[in-house]
Amino acid sequence: MVTEEKKEEILERLKQAVINYDEDSAKEAAKEALEIGVDAADAIFNGLVKGMEEVGRLFEAQEYFVPELLMCADALYAGLDILKPHMKKLDLGVKGSVVIGTVEGDVHDIGKNIVKMMFDVAGFTVYDLGRDVPLDKFVEEQLRTDSDLVCLSAMMTTTMVGMKTVIDKLKAKNPNVRIMIGGAPVSQDIAEKWGADGYAKDASNALKDAINMISSLRKMRDEAEAKRAQ
Amino acid sequence: MRQRQRGLSESLREELLRNGASVVGFADVTDALKGDIAHLRMAVSIGVNRNLNGETITVLSNLQKRVIRCLRSWGYRYLCIPPDSDRQNGSFISRLYPLFTHKIAATSSGIGWIGKNGLLISFEYGPRLSLATVLTDAPLVPDRPIEFSQCGSCSLCRDYCPSKAITGNEWSRNNPYIELVRKTPCNMYKKRIRATKGKPNCGLCINICPYGRKNFSGQQCGEINLQADGLAG
Repeated sequence: MVTEEKKEEILERLKQAVINYDEDSAKEAAKEALEIGVDAADAIFNGLVKGMEEVGRLFEAQEYFVPELLMCADALYAGLDILKPHMKKLDLGVKGSVVIGTVEGDVHDIGKNIVKMMFDVAGFTVYDLGRDVPLDKFVEEQLRTDSDLVCLSAMMTTTMVGMKTVIDKLKAKNPNVRIMIGGAPVSQDIAEKWGADGYAKDASNALKDAINMISSLRKMRDEAEAKRAQ
Repeated sequence: MRQRQRGLSESLREELLRNGASVVGFADVTDALKGDIAHLRMAVSIGVNRNLNGETITVLSNLQKRVIRCLRSWGYRYLCIPPDSDRQNGSFISRLYPLFTHKIAATSSGIGWIGKNGLLISFEYGPRLSLATVLTDAPLVPDRPIEFSQCGSCSLCRDYCPSKAITGNEWSRNNPYIELVRKTPCNMYKKRIRATKGKPNCGLCINICPYGRKNFSGQQCGEINLQADGLAG
């Protein structure tokens, strides 16, 4: 049985590995966590994600810039790849599958990738269509996978208008689907006008939103566990 | 303070040279940095002689790890730009690699200049260095940059280029974007020999460069000339 002290140490190491963008020590700590029997979900949420929350704070405070943010994300993925296969499926009453991509004509996908990462962490099934995705492909993929969420990203005003077409088509085929849009030219106004359900301005905001989402997810998980313990 | 900077720079340089680097240079690359990477203004340029062995890439990536270890223990930020031929991974950070080229770090830190063949040339190793760069905010002491091409009147690479792609123009720091190699004929030629001979690359402008060649003599030019004819035919 793993002692509380040892567990705390491992979680701290996972957190620090993400903050210090140290892929090697993220891998090492993740392996050790599994070896000594730390719960994988615990290691992800209270180790890796805690680290990413701190990174989000550093980024907002302009201590960290885009390169650090990206390297931290790489370190998180390095740990996640090892831990995820051992994580039990979360039962939150949501199906948790999402289609994500950057719309036709646009090749800027760093923000999209960061949002995707957060879905990965949260245990969603992510269907990543990549960048420069033909508009109809979003609709097709949503129908094929029956996903409850579609995330669209665009970095340019010229490609942004494609998102409206996708939203209309998606809503026509399936009124229940939730749509999130993001990217530099998008605003809350546009999101509302076009009928999107959610909006994130750029990589840092998407990160913040995604972190909020995961934090609340963690809260729900803790509550569910507390209920079970009673 | 100055003393400490010098100390850091020299201990880093020694560590790298001791562990397989052929050349190491430090450069202030503030002018070459844009946007997202602008806060990492110093570059550590590492060159490894390709003739040493077939594991140049492994040596380079181990050297980069050493740099990281030093910088981290000193409490500085870093961003590794791996060798150009080692970039197939799909990581997040790999998307930023194209923002910076190794040649800028190498010329700015005095390792060499850009030759008529468009490649980095060093006095000692010629165009036979494989390069890697680590950007950092550590206050390293920059080396003296190279301002002008040192090719002089030599135009072997232009004369023997099988696709006649080399213009013969000379690089200088004032005029870094002058056209040295015409991309189209060079690429077309490489494509053709890939298809007909199964060779991955041409490389004649590397082999013929007299800088860094052992026992270079005029006779070797003739041999290369014959090979070139053979290839072209």
